[in-house]
Amino acid sequence: MTMEKSTYEKPVINKITAGVPSKFGLPVKPKYIAAIDGIAVSALIEKYGSPLFVFSEKTIKTTYADARRAFETRYPKVQFAWSYKTNYLDAICSVFHDEGAWAEVVSGFEFEKALALGVNGSQILFNGPEKSVEDLTLAINHNACIHIDHFDELYLLIELTRKLDKTARVAIRVNMDTGIYPMWDRFGFNYENGEAWNAINRIMLAEKLDLTGLHTHIGTYIMATTAYAVAAAKLANLYMAIHRKFNYWLKYLDLGGGFASKNTLKGSYMPGSETCPSFDEYAEAISNALISSEIPHENLPALFLETGRALIDDAGYLLTTVLANKRLSTGRRSMVIDAGVNLLFTSFWYNLGVYTSNPGSDQVEETTIYGPLCMNIDVVRDAINFPHVKTGDQLVIERVGAYNVTQWMQFITYRPNVVLITSNGNAHVIRRKENLETIKKQESKIEK
Amino acid sequence: MKIIKEIKISDNGFVFNSNTGDSFSLNSTGLELIQLISQEKEIEEIKEVFTTRFDLDELTFEKDFYEFCSLLKLHGIIARESTSEFN
Repeated sequence: MTMEKSTYEKPVINKITAGVPSKFGLPVKPKYIAAIDGIAVSALIEKYGSPLFVFSEKTIKTTYADARRAFETRYPKVQFAWSYKTNYLDAICSVFHDEGAWAEVVSGFEFEKALALGVNGSQILFNGPEKSVEDLTLAINHNACIHIDHFDELYLLIELTRKLDKTARVAIRVNMDTGIYPMWDRFGFNYENGEAWNAINRIMLAEKLDLTGLHTHIGTYIMATTAYAVAAAKLANLYMAIHRKFNYWLKYLDLGGGFASKNTLKGSYMPGSETCPSFDEYAEAISNALISSEIPHENLPALFLETGRALIDDAGYLLTTVLANKRLSTGRRSMVIDAGVNLLFTSFWYNLGVYTSNPGSDQVEETTIYGPLCMNIDVVRDAINFPHVKTGDQLVIERVGAYNVTQWMQFITYRPNVVLITSNGNAHVIRRKENLETIKKQESKIEK
Repeated sequence: MKIIKEIKISDNGFVFNSNTGDSFSLNSTGLELIQLISQEKEIEEIKEVFTTRFDLDELTFEKDFYEFCSLLKLHGIIARESTSEFN
């Protein structure tokens, strides 16, 4: 009879440090993510390679439905516009458009992408400080809502609409003090010093500019819902001032985005999942401010929202593989994985959640997780209590749906496959892994 | 490789260094390994014990063994070798 061998666990020794006890109390069994929407992490990596971005259509739809419910149960007219810069992969945008979201774009490129996806030009909100004559012409011809950022753009539009002999639908972006720091005053016209009011007056005098709404976007990852209440109240004041002076009701107020996702910002004491406001809390603050303003109920404008991060972050995962375990000169544990800051722009400001894909070891040790780049800045987590893993073990990084697949870099290595798991549980490649040809076809050598 | 005399190892995986006042905790394999080292067994002998007892290949054992020893050295649990020797 052969004796069955015991399960091996890597031998570890940890120094016991007296002092401040861990704020998280006694250690719990480390969380692991074995599958995404019913498909095993190992099966996904085997089929599509590592690293691999995986998106869950189910999560996108649930999150979007939650956001809609929160606002639509509190305010009569609500319209979401999908923030392209947050994630402009065609398949992802299409999920939002199929659910009824308009498009919110900030460049000619994004505008063209929305048109190519079949979005009607009149359902595109065109934001941002960079709009060329060509971009604005495209927007005017498609009857888009152009959100004016500065006076130079306003005068350019007056000139262009005269030249084209067409009317442009416009709104202005308003910046304001909502009591939060930093105050974003680089975009739009200021509320407090009267600049926004001057811009509105100039637009109302222009023959071919049709002022349809007001827009603001107070910042990013805003955890104070009261700031949105202040913003909504200030836009409501402008809305009423326009009515009083011009006897004219605007069509919409656009409160922008900036809702926090459940990721944890670096330097935060508590995890984001515990501290971030829910859609209900944002909705309550905004709707309440609009409804309790002096706007008559029958003249309430449509409420536009452009939240991106909070709608997509949770739906994105990055699967990655352990390349090496190392001890630093101080004895500190470190680990190299095959996904780095080239794919995870958000790791510069978040402590991303990294998990094993199997129950594995209960022994955790403070670890630095490095990406694969031969660059000192390539740090995915500078300190995380992590179980011991072996080379080849597969890990899952969660909440990476926002900004990473738009801000990623083709740097040192290729960008990987991106997969969407549809609501019926099937995985589809929605962006193919790059190869040498992808890169080379953009380049030319000088012939000698 | 010798564990310094100020080190006390309890049967439940607690290590105390009376020289510095530092204390350490071990997992079960760590405890087994440090006990074998304290008996001054050679790596080959320890490898035999581990690969027989556990579902473990020789190279993984070797890798983990040397990492464990480097931590023991770092924590001052095993004596540093002569300074003339490059380590």
